[in-house]
Amino acid sequence: MNPANDVALENERPRVDIRQKITGAARYTADQQPARMIFAKAVRFPYGAGKVVSADVEAAKKVKGVLEVEVDMEEVAEYPGAPIGHIVAESRAAIEDAEEALALKFERTAPKTDPVALHKAPESPQGGVFEGAAAVVEGTWRTQVQTHSCLEPHGSVVDHRGASAEVWGSTQTTFGHLDGMKGPTGLDASQIVVHCEYVGGGFGSKFGIGREGDLAARMSKKYQRPCKAMLDRSEEHLDGGNRPGSIQYIKLAADKDGKLLGGRMDLVSIVGHGRGGGGVAGLGDVYDLGAIEETESEINLNFAKPRAFRAPGWPQAVFALEGALDALAAKLGMDPIAFRIKNDKSQRRKERQYRVGADLIGWKDRKPDGTATGRVRRGFGMGSALWPTWPTKCGAQADIFRSGRVEVRVGVQDIGTGTFTLVTDVAAHELGIDRDLVTGRVGDSRFPAGPGSGGSQVSRSAAPATVNAVRDALDQLKASVASEWKIDKEKVKYGKGTFSTEDGAKKLEWAKACALLADEKVTGNGRTETGTEGSGTSDCVQFAEVEVDTETGIVRVKKIVAVHAAGVVVNRLTFENQICGGVIQGISYALFENVRLDPKTGAMVNADFIGYKIAGSKDIPEIVPVLDVEPGDTGVRPIGEPSTIPTAAAIANAVSNAIGARIMELPITPQRVLAALESKGGAA
Amino acid sequence: MKAFAYANAKTEAGVHEAVGKGYRIKAAGIDLLDLQKERVESTDKIVSILGVSALKGIRETEKGIEIGALTTLAELVESAVVDAKCRALADSVRNAASPQLRSVATVGGNICQRPRCWYFRSKDHECLKKGGGTCFAVEGDNTYHALYGRGPCHIVHASNVATALVALGGEVDAATAKIGRTIPASEFFVTPDRNMYGENALAEGELVRAIRIPKNVEKAAYVDFKEKQSFDWPLASCCAAKVGGKWNVVLGAAAPVPWQAKKAAEILDGASAITHAVAEAAADAALEGAAPMSRNAWRLKLVRAAVRRAVLIADGKEIDA
Repeated sequence: MNPANDVALENERPRVDIRQKITGAARYTADQQPARMIFAKAVRFPYGAGKVVSADVEAAKKVKGVLEVEVDMEEVAEYPGAPIGHIVAESRAAIEDAEEALALKFERTAPKTDPVALHKAPESPQGGVFEGAAAVVEGTWRTQVQTHSCLEPHGSVVDHRGASAEVWGSTQTTFGHLDGMKGPTGLDASQIVVHCEYVGGGFGSKFGIGREGDLAARMSKKYQRPCKAMLDRSEEHLDGGNRPGSIQYIKLAADKDGKLLGGRMDLVSIVGHGRGGGGVAGLGDVYDLGAIEETESEINLNFAKPRAFRAPGWPQAVFALEGALDALAAKLGMDPIAFRIKNDKSQRRKERQYRVGADLIGWKDRKPDGTATGRVRRGFGMGSALWPTWPTKCGAQADIFRSGRVEVRVGVQDIGTGTFTLVTDVAAHELGIDRDLVTGRVGDSRFPAGPGSGGSQVSRSAAPATVNAVRDALDQLKASVASEWKIDKEKVKYGKGTFSTEDGAKKLEWAKACALLADEKVTGNGRTETGTEGSGTSDCVQFAEVEVDTETGIVRVKKIVAVHAAGVVVNRLTFENQICGGVIQGISYALFENVRLDPKTGAMVNADFIGYKIAGSKDIPEIVPVLDVEPGDTGVRPIGEPSTIPTAAAIANAVSNAIGARIMELPITPQRVLAALESKGGAA
Repeated sequence: MKAFAYANAKTEAGVHEAVGKGYRIKAAGIDLLDLQKERVESTDKIVSILGVSALKGIRETEKGIEIGALTTLAELVESAVVDAKCRALADSVRNAASPQLRSVATVGGNICQRPRCWYFRSKDHECLKKGGGTCFAVEGDNTYHALYGRGPCHIVHASNVATALVALGGEVDAATAKIGRTIPASEFFVTPDRNMYGENALAEGELVRAIRIPKNVEKAAYVDFKEKQSFDWPLASCCAAKVGGKWNVVLGAAAPVPWQAKKAAEILDGASAITHAVAEAAADAALEGAAPMSRNAWRLKLVRAAVRRAVLIADGKEIDA
């Protein structure tokens, strides 16, 4: 933001919308219930592949409250949950009754559900860097398909009124939603208003209006009534987004001093029936890996296409690479941190983050891999990551009212990360006034445009845009004061709520100055064209301490230390909240989450929150978020994505350290731990 | 969820009257309403029995303890009487589900809950239990399915209370409109070859009134292992109990009914003292007759661990030698 400003922005007040979130007053898209609303829902194919062979559409149409039913008998479905039609009705219950009345009969074809069976193991490369290397590690790491599992499912409520439409969207991009609604509503952006004040999570899966948004818009237009189309929990798993799985063959060589020489990586993404989701990414960004020969390919399964998922490609890549690095360090007889310092590209990590994290986790208690004894064994592990920045445009508007109150408006959405709080606190800090005088408003397409919540770019762009808008409004207020004092505007000084003349002879407090305004309010506009003011790469390292019960294979994560460069932290609580959220999602990915496809029918057998296991309160350890600052940190840096990247890698390395066998596959279930203990195999 | 008529009964007679009119019995409704939502059940009449006060409460009797069917799991866990006389019963649900669910879910509902098998729970898989011709678990994902029993349906019984109830030599007090009866817990839970469409011996519309634990429980312990420590079902569990001088070793999450590991109990009965070696031998013996499926043999290690620990804990020993 402004290097000249003091950067002690950090405050510890609860997020501004905490009361709304805790009491349920926050109204999400799923909560919207305009009068005369109708409901729409897709009819979905339940199995891996095939088509509908019979549907009693007439019976479904006869169900009380049903407005229309369509089933596409020609559609060849390629994944469980593939939409093959839709039902529109007066209530959700009527839709379900119509689904039953449809009495769909299907023809199934053999689904592709097993990526390992479809994977061709590469031949082990010889010669080159491997010749004469002091240590070589070779192995195949695998990761599962993970669903985004947003608590608020995907969906929209659209109220089409002929020449205008009001839209509520559970989306990561207010303006993407606006754009997407143009087609199905047949309206111009000037005729559409999109609301998304409160969004119950997205994690990368809520870009674009989706088929559900499209359906809601078309049906609202057709019936000229508000229409709601929200996915249910099963649909959310099946067709609400997923992180691609991976099969990563890695062979790496290092010299006797621990310097990486290079090697070979065959990276295969498991991508459902399409492409996307970021594959396996980021491998060469953290460490100087030497001369790497890399291939990338894909395996298609009969499952929904992947979508971007909180650091697309990264958690899976870092899990495999950090596992290979630990294996190499062990072969060289080096401490894993010393080994990484030899190869790390980041000064921050080398000079500070490794040391700080190691101290806090108790790294000195770490024993060499596999030397722990007893039934319950303790292990320590770590993993590193980063997140970059790139140019992002964002606008903001700020009103200063005659009453002394301030309103800041930024069109971007708050997907739970604290955008409301960010713009409020930034404006209050910039003006040097109490936060209670400021109202932050976000998630409305009538406000200045800004980016989607993807790639951790909202905070770092909304913050400088807000500063600029507030300064513009303040400038206008200064003009009023100058006019009152009959001096030039440039001669009015301002700081911490007080206006003064250069010589300090005249002073005016905030409220009295605002009262001078000729109109009810002045409005300032602000922008950033880059969103990188004072920002930079978010380097991080996370450490894990685990206990493994070697009799049952059950892993308990005891502690995670997460050291993150986050630049200027606007609000300490939202920073810690974001880091803890990322770590919890990482723990859940490391130990539990897994899409299970039936090998015969291709159905996802665990498309709920019972069979699809997500970390619960007792699975969550002590989490220590550490803000890594250094002189020159003057802007806001990304933390949304990096906070979840290295968690699984750190846990896997800690488990490997505890049991003396490498964990080669996520999730780290008791089954896999017991198998690893039995074989003591893995990377060799 | 399909719309249904809803009635509230205040007395047992009221429950039976509603049942006579075709109403299904609902206690807390944790399972029944889930089944309705999943469209596995499409009952159109439901009677709530939560208002029947005669079915509530925990009482000490001459013969032992009687626990009303509407006792919540939280009440069971917090009961001083249960804690003093048969703590293992409370241990079976101390960490079951979530605090919210434990505060409403009932003991009667818990032992009557339908299987968690994901094929049974899927309206898109017409399995044996729903009148179809296939147990999809046989060639499907049977990670969490039965380790004992050889089908033809390979569910595991979903109730933790059931495992403890059988091991503690308990019984179930049940009644129809016409007649009441007491069913030994070991006969209450029935295998699919005896009842494919239910998991117990209750007649249509028969009401569970209470469960009873005899007073001659000498030693008991319940142990289970779960992947998640919050809101998960066990991968394996065991309740080992010495009742009236005889050991019972019962496995949960292992078979369509609480599975009595009789060989393991025999070893314990024949031992002069419960040593680590005896517990290990009993644990090994519990695996005899296991018939794991394609993806779940690894869980036998957890069964073994659960038996070993339950026996040692019941006898007041440390689990590590």
